[in-house]
Amino acid sequence: MKIAVQHLARIEGHAHLVVDTAAGELLECRLEIVESPRFFEPLLQGRHYSDVAPIIARICGVCSNSHTLVSLAASEAALGVRISTQTRRLRKLLAFGEILQSHLLQLYFMAVPDYLGVPSIFPLIQRQRELVSRALRLKKLANDICWAVGGRPVHPVTPCLGGFSALPAAAALQDLRRQLVAALPDLEQTVELFAGFEIPAFERPTEYLCLSGEPGYPVFGEAIISSDGICVRVDEYLEVIEEYCVPHSTAKFARASRDSYMVGPLARFRNAGKSLSPMARKVASALGLAANTSNPYLGLIARLVEVVHCAEESIHLIDDILLDGLRSEPLPTPNKGGYGVAAIEAPRGTLFHAYRYDANGCILNADCIIPTAQNLANIEADLRQLVPTRMHLEQDALTRELETLVRAYDPCISCSTHLLKVDFV
Amino acid sequence: MTLAVAPPGTDPSGTTLWRPLSRNDIDLLVRSLSHAYEVVGARERRGRVVLDRIDDPAELLLEYSPKVHSPKKFLFPNWEKLFRFRLGGKVLLESERAAVPRVIFGMHPCDLHAVQILDDCLFEGEADSAYRAKREATILIGVDCVPDEHCFCTSMGTDRSAGGFDLFFHRVAEGYLLQVGSERGEALLRRHAPQVASRPGEPPMPWQAKQTGTGLRFPFESLAPLLGEAYDHPIWKAVGEKCLGCGACTLMCPSCYCFNVEDRMDIDLEGGARVRTWDSCQFDQFTRVSGGSEFRANQADRQRHRFFRKYKYLWEKHQRTACVGCGRCSRECLARIAPTEVLNNLFEERALPALKSPGAEYHPQLADIVAVEDLTANEKIFRLRLDGPLDFSPGAFMAVSVFGLGEAPFTIASAPGSGAEIEIVVRAAGNLTRALHRLRAGDTVGVRGPFGSGFPLQEFQGKDLLLVAGGMGLITLRSLLHAILARRADFGRVTLLYGAKDVADILFRQELLRWHREGLLDCRFALRAENNGWGVLRGDVTKLFKDLEIVPARSVAAISGPAAMYRFTNPLLLRLGFSEESIYLNLERHMKCGLGKCGKCRINDICVCECGPIFPYSRVRHLKEAIER
Amino acid sequence: MKRRIGFFDFTGCEGCQLTVLNLEDTLLDLLDLVEIVEFREVMSGSGGELDIAFVEGSICRPDEVERLQAIRARSKTLVALGACADTAGVNALSHFRDLQQLQRDVYGDHPTPAGRPRPLSAVVQVDCRVPGCPIDGQEFLSVLKALLMGKPPELPAYAVCVECKLAELPCTFDQGIVCLGPVTRAGCGAICLLGGDRCRGCRGMIDNPRAQPYDRILVEHGLSEADILREFRTFNMSGEKGQ
Repeated sequence: MKIAVQHLARIEGHAHLVVDTAAGELLECRLEIVESPRFFEPLLQGRHYSDVAPIIARICGVCSNSHTLVSLAASEAALGVRISTQTRRLRKLLAFGEILQSHLLQLYFMAVPDYLGVPSIFPLIQRQRELVSRALRLKKLANDICWAVGGRPVHPVTPCLGGFSALPAAAALQDLRRQLVAALPDLEQTVELFAGFEIPAFERPTEYLCLSGEPGYPVFGEAIISSDGICVRVDEYLEVIEEYCVPHSTAKFARASRDSYMVGPLARFRNAGKSLSPMARKVASALGLAANTSNPYLGLIARLVEVVHCAEESIHLIDDILLDGLRSEPLPTPNKGGYGVAAIEAPRGTLFHAYRYDANGCILNADCIIPTAQNLANIEADLRQLVPTRMHLEQDALTRELETLVRAYDPCISCSTHLLKVDFV
Repeated sequence: MTLAVAPPGTDPSGTTLWRPLSRNDIDLLVRSLSHAYEVVGARERRGRVVLDRIDDPAELLLEYSPKVHSPKKFLFPNWEKLFRFRLGGKVLLESERAAVPRVIFGMHPCDLHAVQILDDCLFEGEADSAYRAKREATILIGVDCVPDEHCFCTSMGTDRSAGGFDLFFHRVAEGYLLQVGSERGEALLRRHAPQVASRPGEPPMPWQAKQTGTGLRFPFESLAPLLGEAYDHPIWKAVGEKCLGCGACTLMCPSCYCFNVEDRMDIDLEGGARVRTWDSCQFDQFTRVSGGSEFRANQADRQRHRFFRKYKYLWEKHQRTACVGCGRCSRECLARIAPTEVLNNLFEERALPALKSPGAEYHPQLADIVAVEDLTANEKIFRLRLDGPLDFSPGAFMAVSVFGLGEAPFTIASAPGSGAEIEIVVRAAGNLTRALHRLRAGDTVGVRGPFGSGFPLQEFQGKDLLLVAGGMGLITLRSLLHAILARRADFGRVTLLYGAKDVADILFRQELLRWHREGLLDCRFALRAENNGWGVLRGDVTKLFKDLEIVPARSVAAISGPAAMYRFTNPLLLRLGFSEESIYLNLERHMKCGLGKCGKCRINDICVCECGPIFPYSRVRHLKEAIER
Repeated sequence: MKRRIGFFDFTGCEGCQLTVLNLEDTLLDLLDLVEIVEFREVMSGSGGELDIAFVEGSICRPDEVERLQAIRARSKTLVALGACADTAGVNALSHFRDLQQLQRDVYGDHPTPAGRPRPLSAVVQVDCRVPGCPIDGQEFLSVLKALLMGKPPELPAYAVCVECKLAELPCTFDQGIVCLGPVTRAGCGAICLLGGDRCRGCRGMIDNPRAQPYDRILVEHGLSEADILREFRTFNMSGEKGQ
């Protein structure tokens, strides 16, 4: 039996799924990443730091805020720029907005159709209009956070080196807080919706990697940790993560302690679930998400738990920001070069940027490791283990289960083909 | 605003009340007004002063230079719904609600003047009702301004405003003095700041002249005539080459109001609104017509239009300067186009008379000799090519230079309308003329002219012509003959009486004979020499006056010859019945400058090079020096 | 009969499609108006004949060429969605480098198919565009509405300066910061200027940029020719010759 799904639907970016079995044996199983590489490093070489974040944001529309924020953090590390508490909080709020927006898009628009047996969310407008309206309401709120803090949800405008070129109005933040509180019923109903889904059973333990160092559930972090015992500083990332080329993929794959590892909501939950917000922990418990689960399908539930966490944490974060009051802060003009590494927990997992600058503030070289690139080996390993156990299914049903597994990772293919380590001689 | 019997803001004796008020009073006034009106004023946002809603009186700024939008932002807003409509079956027009009652604080005198201009333009003809509604619903409160280096209101007469406001706050050392400009303003004061309304008036402060950073170096009344003459001036090209076409000048200008109208549909495509938005003569597509052509296609044309509209067209229409010197256009212009600079440049170039370099009128232009031909033993005819076509009447002369030898006058022997080439006949009589005779085709001479007034051809039309030539006098008449023959049908019978010494002295013999044979003119010769061998009348030209069939009433005589000839021909002509006005003489003297200056050609009280050399006899009859010796 | 529309993407970040999905307030009304029959990012299944195809991303590889041509063949109207599709956008920056060398640097000896990113118009007839990186959601709606009403969509012919002045923003040039606003097409509401950044020209140039006066202003602000080129070379590479 041969399964070849071209241009997998309901994921970000382009990938083909190829599975070949014969006589009960798996011959071939791969996720072909066919997205064209755009070679973002050459785009960056020689560019001034004020251009780096805007260019790098264009790698990905869905996680442009994560790229922007980690890019700025890496530049600040390289150029010796410190940021204020206000900036740190606003960036975290923007990160929350993006995680909410990305997770909600994936949950409602990409994953829900699988579990409700429809090709997309659009047919539900007739039969379950309220579900669609709710999805749009929640997504709009997430985007409103990004509008208020970042200036625009896709490819933000206001974050810049050392701070923000424009601050949100206090009234805007107050309004967001009101809306976040008002969104709780919608979140409850979302939890109920997912509670009714039948998540396929499948276990494949792997290494789970994420950031750590800040108190609380990780967004930014100074250290990399994993379930296999990795604990290094972020700037030592190259010592624990190894990228390698694969013939059928324009994206590189990665390994750490084992042949493959996972980043993303499930990895974060496993490593730091105790630090989730109170409501999020309740939801995790209600949905039966155990701390030691190794079912990659449950990435879906971990994602939903993170939605609740981010919503609740955003309320507190806005309160902190408003209590101190927003103040216009001067922006730095660094005058030396250097090397810096930063990492952020993007919606899909740990994202690393590393830059080397010359004394004029222009990029000498750049490196990025993308969450999805780190997951690709693990996805394939999961598929290779999953297929033999599902051989009894009809081709269509099997295809659906395999697609659902891929979607559980919420891969972002556009990102993963673009930032690959290049050394300029 | 119509005034009541007792003007608002005055006491019973009619004296203007200047009531003192403090910043605190103003804050209270703002707070009170906000309950009933939307209060708009200058406030700071992102490091820039903007004109916007005031929520907290402390935000209101009262001292600022015009860095903001003008009140046009609210009186004639950028995005204005004209009406809504719904499709499907019947199209329903839903009218818009009335205008929001509003108070605009901080209108500088220039902006108050600008509102008057908008009134002129938008109320004339079919009044713009949307604007009128806003105008009537908006209270205007003026305030003194702080001019900066771009303001030039003093040049435009807009630095103070006698009216057009409801209230005006004049800045004084201890606060402000309030002046009421309308009944509505007085009523507003009584209701919203009664403590101020009840204060006794104080003497007004003496008028302080404003210091603006730039200005016109000439009175603004000269603007319209200045521009009227400068339509094709190269300055517009220079301005156009700097201009980015961004439209900032017109968008920020308080008296610009050009707009576009378009329909915007709702998402269901079943209804929509027709809206108007600000447009600009500086934009592409502003003047595009169907078919794609734009009739003001480049920035030079567009900037010129802007200047003409502000400083000429609207002034001529309304007798009010349409530019109020607020300086917004130059303040906002990235290319630094400043109207004072442009207008001052235009004025400076024009203020001085078209000054040639000293002595320019004596500089000849250089002309090439195209051809030289012998006419007679002593005379040659030269064809000269000048820089451009020459406009003259037959009888005019050129001053021809042979450098080193001098300059001399020569009658133009060819007819007007021959383009850039003329012919002169030169008799070798002196140094210069002999030198001329030595020149060949390809050589260069200097020419000045044409000088003198020639035959008034218009007056000869439809008449018979009697031409009398003596000797070289024919040269002048040859020019006249060519001009006549070019429009032969416009004239009656043409008779030429030509007296010369001998056959060999007859100029243009072949030409004359040909014309005679062709019946174009009746040519009669008289030669003084014996045995002239030609069989023509022997004697002088007067002999030819016999047997003339002339009807003097419809004839004109033109005589050209030595002065002595006139003494005889004139009486003959008069006896024939010609009137003194219909006899034209060619009086030549030694013309030197050709400009009526050197004095050499004066006869009694006239100057030949200026008034002649062609004169009607009636004009020179009294010149005892000329003829009646 | 509702018009059938589809969304497609090639080599790009999918931010433009996401911007369409971000029209939360209008999405349901939109779906009353048209039928989305194909939208890979959020739908399984393909659509057959289309009235309007919105296509995002640049074209790099032969298989992308084929796929685009197939879309063109089954669509009445094809709209370039976003800068990558319209002008190649940021992708065109790779034109700077030698492609073979790039591939070797990144992939070593593993061959991988990739060509120079090109705009859609290099491969098929494009009927109209929604410019920007990303697009403006409201502009997308007005283009869609115009197409549904059968009139050619009109984009502003004037520059971003207009929107900046209407928003009463300070001019970046006053702070010595160079901005591409004077030659960039308006329609975005000067969003980056509102956010305190300068205009980087992501929407492409107006049809009639006043190049000479603008160059002069840039030089007056101390930019060398190399600097001026670098300013333009973020989103407007495709305007240069030799690609």
